[in-house]
Amino acid sequence: MRLASVVVLCASVAVGACLPPNNNKAPPKLAPPPASVQTDPYAEDEARNRLAVEVREEPHGAPVLLQHATVMTATGQTYAPGYVLMENGAISEVGAGDGPAPKEGTVVVDARGKFVTPGIIDPHSHMGVYPVPNTSAHDDGNEMTDPVNAGLRAEDSFWPEDPAIERAVAGGVTTVGILPGSANLIGGRGVVLHLVPQRGARSMRFPGAPEILKMACGENPKRVYHEQKRAPSTRMGNLRAVRDAFVRARKYAREWDEYVKKQQAPKTVDPRTGAKKDDGEPKPPDRDLALETLALVMRGDILVEWHCYQADDMLAALQVADEFGFRVRAFHHALEAYKIRDVLAKKHVGVVTWDDWWGYKMEAWDGIPENLALVTEAGALGIVHSDSEIWGQLLNQSAGKALAAGRAAGVKLEEEDALKWITANPAWALGIDDQVGTLQPGKRGDVVVWSEDPFSTYAVAMLVYVDGQLVFDRMHVGAPWSDFELGVRAMPPRPASSEGVRTQTPNAGETK
Amino acid sequence: MRSLLFYACAALLGLSLDVPAAAQEAPPPPIAIVHAKVYVPGGKDPLPNGTVVIDKGKIVVVGDDLAPPAGARVIDARGKVVTPGFIDAESQVGVVDVEEEEQTDDTDARGDMNPALRMVDGYNPRSAVVPITRAEGVTSVIVAPRAGVLGGQSAFADLAGDAVNDAIVRPVLAQYASVAEGIAQHAAGTRGGLWNMLREALEDARFYATHRGAYDANQVRQLSLRRAGLEALVPVVQGNLPLVVHAHRASDIEAALRLADDLKLKLVLSGASEAWMIADDLARRKVPVIVDPLEDLPQRFDRLHSRSDNAAMLQRAGVRVIIATYASHQSRLLWQHAGNAVRTGMDHDAAIRAITETPADAFGLKGYGRLEKGAVANVVVWSGDPLQLSTRVEHVFVRGREQSLETRQTLLRDRYRTLPVPRDGSR
Repeated sequence: MRLASVVVLCASVAVGACLPPNNNKAPPKLAPPPASVQTDPYAEDEARNRLAVEVREEPHGAPVLLQHATVMTATGQTYAPGYVLMENGAISEVGAGDGPAPKEGTVVVDARGKFVTPGIIDPHSHMGVYPVPNTSAHDDGNEMTDPVNAGLRAEDSFWPEDPAIERAVAGGVTTVGILPGSANLIGGRGVVLHLVPQRGARSMRFPGAPEILKMACGENPKRVYHEQKRAPSTRMGNLRAVRDAFVRARKYAREWDEYVKKQQAPKTVDPRTGAKKDDGEPKPPDRDLALETLALVMRGDILVEWHCYQADDMLAALQVADEFGFRVRAFHHALEAYKIRDVLAKKHVGVVTWDDWWGYKMEAWDGIPENLALVTEAGALGIVHSDSEIWGQLLNQSAGKALAAGRAAGVKLEEEDALKWITANPAWALGIDDQVGTLQPGKRGDVVVWSEDPFSTYAVAMLVYVDGQLVFDRMHVGAPWSDFELGVRAMPPRPASSEGVRTQTPNAGETK
Repeated sequence: MRSLLFYACAALLGLSLDVPAAAQEAPPPPIAIVHAKVYVPGGKDPLPNGTVVIDKGKIVVVGDDLAPPAGARVIDARGKVVTPGFIDAESQVGVVDVEEEEQTDDTDARGDMNPALRMVDGYNPRSAVVPITRAEGVTSVIVAPRAGVLGGQSAFADLAGDAVNDAIVRPVLAQYASVAEGIAQHAAGTRGGLWNMLREALEDARFYATHRGAYDANQVRQLSLRRAGLEALVPVVQGNLPLVVHAHRASDIEAALRLADDLKLKLVLSGASEAWMIADDLARRKVPVIVDPLEDLPQRFDRLHSRSDNAAMLQRAGVRVIIATYASHQSRLLWQHAGNAVRTGMDHDAAIRAITETPADAFGLKGYGRLEKGAVANVVVWSGDPLQLSTRVEHVFVRGREQSLETRQTLLRDRYRTLPVPRDGSR
């Protein structure tokens, strides 16, 4: 019921207004809140219709009790052995021991020797917008026609039949942030999706997730537009264009504010007759999808996910954000975050990065494998992303590698820290940490049962639950999710039976 | 013990005196790695309490429960693992600094037919990528061209030595052809056109090999390649130089097998996403197959049947499987690529062989990829299972010399270990 009501609420109000309050421990805003934006009645209709066509079913099915496993909660607490109980799509109990006596109809999973974690969240994926196969017809990730393209929405490019989606789930991923590419300074709105097979992108939307905006600094935008012989073609050109865009957005927001003020102002009274004058209805400003998005950013309703590699580029980006009074939720890629980790920690900016990518472009030249460890040590929020449909299946391995690199450098880290890099912290980066990212009562039932410690090379996800529903079972893989792969796919493989413990399946499906 | 003392004294002298270069380069004493789990060749179980002795660039002793020889520098590797240095059988280490900066990228030449191109001519042993790759246990790489119907000739390099002549073991190791999706349409319009191009080039080279005199006298019909290209292909058509064919679709692999049969080529398959579909045939023919276990997506129409357990299925069928990264800067992750083959069902020791013995044997690299008496002493000591995420490299020896694990990345790490960074040149 909870899920359905969230959906309905979202559908019935204006764009941007359905965002849940940000009840995270974010520090106070840096600048006075910018002028608010009153979206117009047409925007309201749009928002309603966006979900009217695509309906997401309320989760149903039996309660699930996972027992006898090592339960890693991503709250700093590990229960070995422990249990997780899921009911009505949500986690209802987590703890040490065997858990409560199962009610009638509960599916009891004996996960002895297995590890249970929250579902992995990949905050930077291009699945669906750059799907496989990489045909020219599928090249829908970068609208390289305007460096400021804030009116775009990644959900409008997303192809739900991308075969990469099911493989990500087989890698333990339950939620992704789908972003437009990085050709543009402002690439458009991303979308947070729950990985369940659906026929359209909108019904995969993570209920109640805030809107997110992809921005990009550094090499990519200036290279793309330099090739087109347009601005920007330099870093200063990048910054100028971003400032210009926010200057226009600020004007746009003021115009709407004035309009709303006029609407709400009492009618003028004729001093002679005492009668109310007919001033006429105030005329609303023309709507602009790009400026609307940026105005919502300045109001704090849309989270900024900013592709930036170099330390100096990130500092410049923070400067612009301060000037216009908006916050950067997270820098993505951020290979040089370790150089400015004190600043990022102080400003509470997330660091969304890989474990060890480096060197493929100039702004990646100083990447080091200890980046995540060092930013974590400094108190900033480290987050692993993939930006890749291959590495997006191996996020647990990326976190494991970054953990090992950090420990070797003398940074004190626990496996729980590495787990947070792929669960609780990306949930924060996407603004959904009140719903997922940890194993706690009340959170959504997004849960993975691993064959062994997830920070082993050999670990595979055995069972994956989304909203308490089993969406992937390695030992019982059926027809592919993607229509494209019908008659073709033969994955994911069942591990060879001689492979020992990690091939044993939990005793799933036993109904008491 | 005497030699240890001597060694320590020499080290002290090295610090305190300006020792002439020749003295510094005096051959180091033998090195004995003891009490380690030692991977030995030939499909035998690893030695549980193994000793490996290195002297004068070679492995001189490998055995279980053996005491170190007198005078040796002893490395107690109790609880640790010793393997041959890993060989990345297809990489671009040393031929590209920054991929996005074209002027630093020597991985692919212009044009579709470049058989005479030699990767050795672009190889830079001082590349920042070399120590970074080596520090994760890769001690040798096959530096291969990346593009073209005939891409050119790979080199085999050890990841040590400052001079090209030092680093390069084999300046010409194999020739490369590609029939992967996109190549055919670009070069010839269709797959059929591409196979015609390839076949014609190889047949012309065979003709040329027996008509060099007439060719030089300008008395032969027009051939499809120029002289340097024909020369480069002569050892290929004579069956002396392997031809590595990049092919993914099972039917493309079959076409490569037909070509190799017709022209009696020494074939190595590479990429080979759909090789599992014809695994038995490949096993029977004993064709080495290079794969990347991380490639499990239908990235293109010529690999719709990609699957993550390709390597495992090939191994179970008895195919000579080689694992490679196809990478430059991330060639260092060869261990992880092999580890993922194990994750999807390949035997652990087979995965180790796929990055040591098997590539060495497939490319005729005598003395490489194995810990046995007389082998080249490329040796790595690991803190644990080499394919495991938590494992660290502890020692790397290339041709018997221990290599520093310092890289540009460790220097950056150390400079920024605490903030603010002192700007006094101390780090």
